[in-house]
Amino acid sequence: MFERILIDSLIRSMQVGSLYALMALGITLTMSVLKLPNFAHAEFVTVGAYTALIVSRNVSTNPIIILGLSAIVASVVALVSHITVFRPFEKQKSSIYIMLLASFAVGLIIRYVLFLTADTFDLFDQRIQVPLEIWYRTDNFILSNVFFWVVPTSIVLVIALSLLLNATPLGREMRALADNFDLARVIGIPVERVKWLTWLLVGALAGISGALWGIQTSVSPLMGWVVILSVFAAAILGGLSSFPGTILGAYVVAFSENTIMQVLNFQFGLSFSFKPAIPFIIIVIVLLIRPEGFTQFFKSNRSLKR
Amino acid sequence: MLSIRELTAGYGKLEILHQLSVDIQVNHMTTILGANGSGKSTLLKSIFGLTTITGGSITYNDREIIGISTENISKLGIAYVPQRENIFASMTVRENLALAVRKASRAEAALRIDRAFDLFPILTKRANQRTGLMSGGERQMVAIAMGWLMNPSLMLLDEPTAGLAPLVAKEVFETLYNLSQKGITLVIVEQNARTALRWCEDVCILREGTLVYQGRNDAFAEDDSLLHTYLGLLSIGKQ
Ligand SMILES: Nc1ncnc2c1ncn2[C@@H]1O[C@H](COP(=O)(O)OP(=O)(O)O)[C@@H](O)[C@H]1O
Ligand SMILES: [Mg+2]
Repeated sequence: MFERILIDSLIRSMQVGSLYALMALGITLTMSVLKLPNFAHAEFVTVGAYTALIVSRNVSTNPIIILGLSAIVASVVALVSHITVFRPFEKQKSSIYIMLLASFAVGLIIRYVLFLTADTFDLFDQRIQVPLEIWYRTDNFILSNVFFWVVPTSIVLVIALSLLLNATPLGREMRALADNFDLARVIGIPVERVKWLTWLLVGALAGISGALWGIQTSVSPLMGWVVILSVFAAAILGGLSSFPGTILGAYVVAFSENTIMQVLNFQFGLSFSFKPAIPFIIIVIVLLIRPEGFTQFFKSNRSLKR
Repeated sequence: MLSIRELTAGYGKLEILHQLSVDIQVNHMTTILGANGSGKSTLLKSIFGLTTITGGSITYNDREIIGISTENISKLGIAYVPQRENIFASMTVRENLALAVRKASRAEAALRIDRAFDLFPILTKRANQRTGLMSGGERQMVAIAMGWLMNPSLMLLDEPTAGLAPLVAKEVFETLYNLSQKGITLVIVEQNARTALRWCEDVCILREGTLVYQGRNDAFAEDDSLLHTYLGLLSIGKQ
């Protein structure tokens, strides 16, 4: 019995961790290249999920089409946020605190637009219309088609993203902005264009993770907001700069929220209502004891910061 | 070539340069001297649009460049090697150099990067090392190589030998001299007045944001008291 629960929670940790990784990489990328702790990332995720919901109902239930359109819509929302809100603040040389507040405002606006939309079309807590199938079964556990979409898709995207960053001219220019913005300008890198492309990339990542999250659970206007703290916990574990650190952080947070929580519940009767506190605890502990997160473990790897 | 007229510039409301005028001669090596805080770096930053400019003009080949954004200045054939943070520390030497030739085709970029390694052969062995982990001298070489790879006709260098051992500093100046011989105009901000006067034929001296002296370096060879007059005892003692 306990073994079964444990295996179930481990599968869930993997699935949730993969999605946290996708979302947290977006946060890390925004933080290092665009110098913005972007809380509106939560709503980019929700936008992706709602796009997936609407596409699955009206256009196609093909996962590729669903994920593709979610990526496109969320990346447009991200770019529009930059052009209409973040760039004007940058132009005024606003401090990072003002930018942080601006990102809360952007998130709030998108969230309530989604509330309005959901209200009008009755789209609260809906399931995305992809059939749930069991693809693999043993005596101890079951793997659904969702698992086989979420985990490999995340892994492929993470690999593609690191290839983009480390092996393409655009990736090199993004890292240049992250490393030394003024020098990037001095040597003639078109920084605004690189920022636009970064926003599109970040939005697409958020959109895809939102669609997958929606397929795995259900879609509601608060869904991104509910997970954003866990995602920030993962990014903070990565020192807000290291890619491998962020990925490891994502699985650590997911494992703590699922498997460790499960064990604590089973052995000590700790209530599951304690679960939302876990990312808080992780953030506080990391910031107090090890503010650089896992970055030191990955010294040989290129992080996005010095 | 480069002509600065009554330039007033600073940071926000803080005014650092006051109606500063100076002309840079083509194909010369010009050194800009002055005490710490006299505005040497601010002058170079202003040329690249990194300060708040409230008056005056900067023309390059008779073209006004105030108002041109930082990322477009290099297109005019001006390269700038800043005093601090003049490399991408998280990247390898090769990646740094590649960023400087990002507009060139793959083959052309490889060729030019090879020539940059000829300029500073020491860097060849370090090609795939992160610049942030290298010595001050090596980092300075990467920064200069990046500037040179931009294909400039005018290069601005802010204290390229600061913190370097005398022998390494000499090597850097020899390389700069060779670049000058190849027809690149150089403006070099220097802390060590004696070294700078040995290599650079033109001399500008700043004090508190204004130009107090402009002339040839031979004037200093003839009359040592000039250094006292303009730079004070502190710089004299430093060799
Ligand atoms: N980013 C900045 N913001 C505000 N003041 C600055 C900044 N950079 C330099 N300053 C001030 O401008 C003055 C001139 O500095 P700088 O041009 O760096 O001098 P130098 O290069 O001759 O040593 C100094 O008083 C310095 O404190
Ligand atoms: Mg200086």
